[in-house]
Amino acid sequence: MEKRGRHYMALGLTGFAVLCAPTVLGSGVSVYSAAVLIAIFAIMAYGLDVIVSDLGEVSLAHTVFFAAGSYTTALLSTRGGVGSAWVTLVAAVLVAICMAALIGFVTLRLREFVFSLVTYALAVVAMTIAANWSFLGGSDGIRGIPMLDLSLPGLTLTARNDRELWPYAFTLLALTIYLIDRFRHSALGAAAIMVHLNPRLATMSGIDPAKVRLQVFLFSAPVSAAAGWLYAYQRAYVSADLLENYFLILMLTAVVLIGKRQLLGPLAATALVLIQEKFFSLGGNVDKMILGSVLVAILAFFPQGLAGLARPLARMWTRRDARN
Amino acid sequence: MNLSQQLINGLVMGHAYALVAIGWTLLLGVARLVNFGHGQMYMLGAFVTWWAVTKAGVPYALALPIAMCVGALFGVIMQRVMLKATLEQNLVSIMIMTLGFGYVFSGGAALVFGSTGEILDTALSRQEITMGDLWMTWQDAAIIVAAILVFISLKWVLDGTRIGRLVRMVAEDPKLAMLAGVNVRRVYYGVFAFEGAAVAFAAGMVAPRTPILTSMGFDEVIMTFVVVVLGGIGSVTGSYLAGIALGLFTALFGALVSPAYTTAAAFLVLIALLVLRPGGLSTGSAGGVH
Repeated sequence: MEKRGRHYMALGLTGFAVLCAPTVLGSGVSVYSAAVLIAIFAIMAYGLDVIVSDLGEVSLAHTVFFAAGSYTTALLSTRGGVGSAWVTLVAAVLVAICMAALIGFVTLRLREFVFSLVTYALAVVAMTIAANWSFLGGSDGIRGIPMLDLSLPGLTLTARNDRELWPYAFTLLALTIYLIDRFRHSALGAAAIMVHLNPRLATMSGIDPAKVRLQVFLFSAPVSAAAGWLYAYQRAYVSADLLENYFLILMLTAVVLIGKRQLLGPLAATALVLIQEKFFSLGGNVDKMILGSVLVAILAFFPQGLAGLARPLARMWTRRDARN
Repeated sequence: MNLSQQLINGLVMGHAYALVAIGWTLLLGVARLVNFGHGQMYMLGAFVTWWAVTKAGVPYALALPIAMCVGALFGVIMQRVMLKATLEQNLVSIMIMTLGFGYVFSGGAALVFGSTGEILDTALSRQEITMGDLWMTWQDAAIIVAAILVFISLKWVLDGTRIGRLVRMVAEDPKLAMLAGVNVRRVYYGVFAFEGAAVAFAAGMVAPRTPILTSMGFDEVIMTFVVVVLGGIGSVTGSYLAGIALGLFTALFGALVSPAYTTAAAFLVLIALLVLRPGGLSTGSAGGVH
């Protein structure tokens, strides 16, 4: 119990440090903008993380949930005239759950590469639909999304710029990490791991693999959609580029770079990628090549991720410590 | 709508789809490997051909082998990096790595060739064959001939030669093949080199039909998925028939409903197929779907 308490205290301190980080780093506009984007993309990646790390499948359709969250928010807040971001958040989550139910139901019996192939095809098709369908703004996208307004009766909560958006992005990120942690300690999380590692044992233990897969899918989609919801307010417009491969490659890199099933892994990986792109950029195309190469290199040479690389070093360190 | 003209378009597109998908067919069916960077390799093949013809001044007939060599080289490099995962049959890693490779290719191509659209013009694509009010270009005719020749040769190599037997043996059981003294690594390298060369050749043949962009490749990859699944995963004859069926379907769909949504329609066909027959369709029933 004491260990757990210490664990939560460490997490709390880390959280506080992250919350203050942009101020410490000079409070620049670009610092806040990068911090907000890191938080949003990390949340998006956490949605995929449970599918890849826990369920052991590769969904390539999580950009669709991300985009669905953004588009729902954009449509409601512009054409629907909805001012409250609470309403758009609920709508974004509901839309994502409905889409995940449909996709999950259709792909329930598909495994491994056929599942990935269908979800990848879905992402590509979603992009052509978003770019062509005038209801979704076509190739122009949807502009003029108002500022984030989470006001409650008697309490004004709005964000006009990235600096004001940061506390909300941080809160959503912290909430997401808490949810992922709860998921991993839940019966569903345990069932997902069992279905992943030993489907036959899972079936014999009375677990229905298809049901678990669907439930995990339904849990993960709203996470990515919530990121899309916040991204719509951050960018103030949405367009079909939300479905581009960049987000997919970023998500996958975020999941594998540090190592699978590392609670803070996707956040740290997203931060590394975004810091490179925002502050040490070598031009869009070279950045693309760097991101893709990092993804390939990690899987080819360090399948355990950077954490797997650090573990032997840490062991060496403690051994030397013990000797002294 | 002129139905006969649409059928001709469909046949040309169908042979193009089959030709683009041939590398994947061998990769998946014979070596149990996947390549999600297939579309970007198609894009690279088209741009290398374009570069050779317009910038280096090489004749088109020589530009194709150059593009194929570059494609094969990229295939071998990819396989070198993925060799460990391949030997472990770790499809999840291979999938993600090939996506990463595709992303690197599209970034690299935009860097080298620029991100504006180009036209790959050949002598064959400027001349038309007309029969009454029906027409096609000589390039279209060349696509049909090339696709048929490539499929017949592949079928012959796989079924009738020692190399084909080795490749099928590795696909059946890589460990057993290794015990039997087959150089499994060399077979995997060979299969990926074929994938790279085949898609580059297909790109050099098919790309003159449309403007080329370094951001393209997504439509090609979806059509390849549909061809491979519809053809019964890995069946060479099945892929050929599936390509033609898909070509006729998209030509008619484009003419009757909307050309903007042909990829979406092809995807719905894929979903319907997978839900109805999760194992993919066998060769025999492929013709009966449309």
